[in-house]
Amino acid sequence: MRPRTIVLTGVGWLVALIFLMPYAQMLLTALKPEPELTRSPGGYVPQHWKFGNFVDVWSQSDIWQSIQVSLIVSAVATLVTLVCALPAAYYTARNRFRGRGAFLLLVLVTQMFAPTALVVGIFREMVALNLTDTLLALILVNSAFNLPFCVWILHGYFASIPRELEEAAFLDGAGRLGALTRVTLPISMPGVVTAVVYTFISAWNEYIVALTISSSPNRKPLTVAIPSFVTLYQEHWQFLFATSLIAIVPVVILFVFIERYLVGGLTAGSVK
Amino acid sequence: MSEAGTQGAEAAAASAPRPGTAPRPGPARRLGRALAPLLWLGPSIALIGLVVLWPVVEMVRTSLLRISSSGATLGSAGAGKYTDLFADEDFWPVVLRTLGWVAGVVVVTVLLSLALGQLLNARFPGRRVVRWAVIVPWAASVLMTSLIWRWMLDNDSGLVNRVLLDLGVLDEPVNWLAHPTQAMLWMMWVAVFVSLPFTSFVILAGLQTVPGEVYEAARVDGAGTLRTYFTITLPLLRPAVLIASIINIINVFNSFPIIWAMTGGGPGHATDTTTTFMYKLAFADQDVGMSAAMAVVNFALILVLVLLYLRASRWREETR
Amino acid sequence: MKRHLTGVIAAGLTVALGVSACGKGSSSSDGDGGGKTIKFVAAIYDDNTQGYWDQLIKDFEAKNPGYKVQLEMVDWTVMDGKVKTYVQTKQVPDVLNYNSFSDYARDGLIYKASEVVSPEVLGDFTPTFVEQAKYQGEQYALPFISSARLLFYNKDLFKKAGITDAPKTWDEVKADAQKIKGSGAIGYGLPLGPEEAQAEFYSWAMNNGGGWVDASGKWAINQQANVDTLNYLRDLTKSGLTQPNPETTDRKKVFNQFAQGRIGMAIGGPFTRAGFIDKVNKDLQYGIAPLPSKSGSEHNTLGVMDVLAAFKKDGGKNKEAVKKFLDFYYQKENTAKFLKLENFLPVTKSAGDALSADPYFKQFVDALPASKFAPTTNPAWTAVAGAVKQDLGSAVAGQEPKKVLDKIQQTAEKSG
Repeated sequence: MRPRTIVLTGVGWLVALIFLMPYAQMLLTALKPEPELTRSPGGYVPQHWKFGNFVDVWSQSDIWQSIQVSLIVSAVATLVTLVCALPAAYYTARNRFRGRGAFLLLVLVTQMFAPTALVVGIFREMVALNLTDTLLALILVNSAFNLPFCVWILHGYFASIPRELEEAAFLDGAGRLGALTRVTLPISMPGVVTAVVYTFISAWNEYIVALTISSSPNRKPLTVAIPSFVTLYQEHWQFLFATSLIAIVPVVILFVFIERYLVGGLTAGSVK
Repeated sequence: MSEAGTQGAEAAAASAPRPGTAPRPGPARRLGRALAPLLWLGPSIALIGLVVLWPVVEMVRTSLLRISSSGATLGSAGAGKYTDLFADEDFWPVVLRTLGWVAGVVVVTVLLSLALGQLLNARFPGRRVVRWAVIVPWAASVLMTSLIWRWMLDNDSGLVNRVLLDLGVLDEPVNWLAHPTQAMLWMMWVAVFVSLPFTSFVILAGLQTVPGEVYEAARVDGAGTLRTYFTITLPLLRPAVLIASIINIINVFNSFPIIWAMTGGGPGHATDTTTTFMYKLAFADQDVGMSAAMAVVNFALILVLVLLYLRASRWREETR
Repeated sequence: MKRHLTGVIAAGLTVALGVSACGKGSSSSDGDGGGKTIKFVAAIYDDNTQGYWDQLIKDFEAKNPGYKVQLEMVDWTVMDGKVKTYVQTKQVPDVLNYNSFSDYARDGLIYKASEVVSPEVLGDFTPTFVEQAKYQGEQYALPFISSARLLFYNKDLFKKAGITDAPKTWDEVKADAQKIKGSGAIGYGLPLGPEEAQAEFYSWAMNNGGGWVDASGKWAINQQANVDTLNYLRDLTKSGLTQPNPETTDRKKVFNQFAQGRIGMAIGGPFTRAGFIDKVNKDLQYGIAPLPSKSGSEHNTLGVMDVLAAFKKDGGKNKEAVKKFLDFYYQKENTAKFLKLENFLPVTKSAGDALSADPYFKQFVDALPASKFAPTTNPAWTAVAGAVKQDLGSAVAGQEPKKVLDKIQQTAEKSG
């Protein structure tokens, strides 16, 4: 038992190192003064540590605004997705009705469309709806394209929960809705959290649609704002990575909190 | 949406009541039942219809039009854009490369994730921190991760060359992203890297639904670790692996930022996949009709791929 | 000002969704009625561009009460996509700062120049540029900035390699590059990556009698002179006289390494000094010479021009506001300030003299009259340039030059 733990620990920490390495490099690059960036061969650590890069990027660009946009779009899109996906997933998992197969197929087919492929179509639509350059458009697009995944994952979780469990609660006098909210939902919490995280992150990552729909500076999410540090005539990689880090850190912290729920032992005891 | 409604009505009318439920309902209740699916599925259908299907129709329509470089519609192209596309000498290499890209990335991702899920599920000091570390590429945007990899692979100032030079593996810097094969392999690695967190957490979540008693029973039977894994764990992980694979196939197929940020599909079209190729057709070659045709073909390809996968993994058993 | 109903609804909706920062409802419905609000999409040339336009618009709005200009800054790397989407979806801005216009003129989307600027402004443009702004004999585009390309060379590296004068012929370029390589640096910096391959290639091809079109104006991209040019560049690459992998190298990288003193020669423009050299090494010893030619007898220069184009909208309601704004920009002090800030060459007679005082700029200004331009007046040019950017570089890597040019020729003929 003992050597096994040692090996596991070693492998575990190695894995952690591999996963963190690019982001450590991001930090080191963000702390270099610009002339050091193009030096050949590149240095491992900055010769002059320029912590001012973070101050510069914060004060000279609109990244706080972009962070707000990204946060709002991702959060609201996640909410909308959940509100639409939960009932659909629950109903399809619990009931047999004609059209169920068709609905699930529609969901699967929808999942296969990437916003990239549809960007001109999406833009034309937003023009028709007079929604170009609004956050609402970004919210709609992000919730619609992430809905299929959420329906699928929630459907899977709901289906895996024995009907008897719910019926027991129902018979205890909890009512249909009570059984759903008090029994089924808590058990499927890992599924819900996964769906939330997935939607939030893909909205956070979305690039093409935002690039085409948003034009005002106060409606540009981070993904659109960040690459503008590397333009046709200049490359401010240090600013690009400083901004990236500022954007990544809050989400990582969020994940750290959610992780307990993401893999928490919620399912372990109650299913059996 | 009315279609879904009538379908639901037919369904309710045709299906016999489930055993154990209330006796045969009256007409009013039957109508209520017929509309019930709509109530639960309505928001989803509305959202998909409005934001996904509308542009899809637009896209298919566009693929049949001749559109000038400034966007004026010059009339119908019939299937002309499709024949143009199939005749393009870059088309087939791009399609084959895309299939290789998807197969390579998804297979490696799932295999590594199965191991990683097991690791993250095992008990060892610092497990929580390792889990956090594995999450990081997921929390960071794909675009940012691709950009840092591009930067690390830089010919002159990149970390990768520096390390390999210092270790004596290389004699002179390699311009990794300039050579199609190497660039492709690196980009596949980045694609695996950003897919791993999600996939391994899905598998980890799957592992946690496996009841502990099952393992105890296996141990009592005297089954070895490996045998337990292949006869018990893996079959129980099937739904998780299935979901993870499908999502990965679709996402990797449609992935744009990695290739766009790292090589832009270049040199020439040597590292393009169908997604970047489609984008370049519209914005570099100024042929929106052909780009839309590519989008339709792209969709057909994923459809075939996913259907094949579902067939192979006998999806129907899972949802019935 | 009273908000329109749609504005209120939109605002209510957004508030309901918790979107506090979104005030689209009010801003879009305010100005549309009188055509006094115009949208201006400007390209980002460098860090200073936005500041310049913000100030100019502020001044303009102060002097013209009631008129409003909404500015959108777009980086060149995403400009093509943005413009394409705008035009496709009929969401064009009123004024666009771009590098092509002829397909819009052909499709009747933009105003003639005479409709949107005063006769004085129209008469002030330098004739060379007016020619480049015409479609079928009529001037549509408004010349905005210009630029020219010359050969930059590192004097220290030349001295170290024992070279006295800048090369005039292609053979001399190759020989000099060889010597520079011998002394441990890169001979010639060749950016044939997708960023601006067409400019680099044309700079060489035009000095071999090649070009994009033949005498009659028909596409002649796979003509022998072009094939020879590409073979020459391929030879430079294969002989190891350029930086590795020209097919993926952008100008930024070449200029940066030139500034670091690691590249002997490269083709640069007026912006090279402030944009690249001064940032890295203000004391770099470099010279500027005409572009080398195959024969060494005549030296053509690549001319580059960006334009402003005014789009027709709402049945011409925007014309007055657009005209006011453009006339304001084309006042001498405003144009001169922009050129100076961004290191470009003038397109108007009145702004010309200011720059010639600087000997660095004078070389470029002097080269302009004899410069050759890309065929931007041909509506198919954007498609051709797109194909060149993507594919040309592969001719110095794996592909056969002739085959690559044949393919681009096909694209050109297909696009008209």
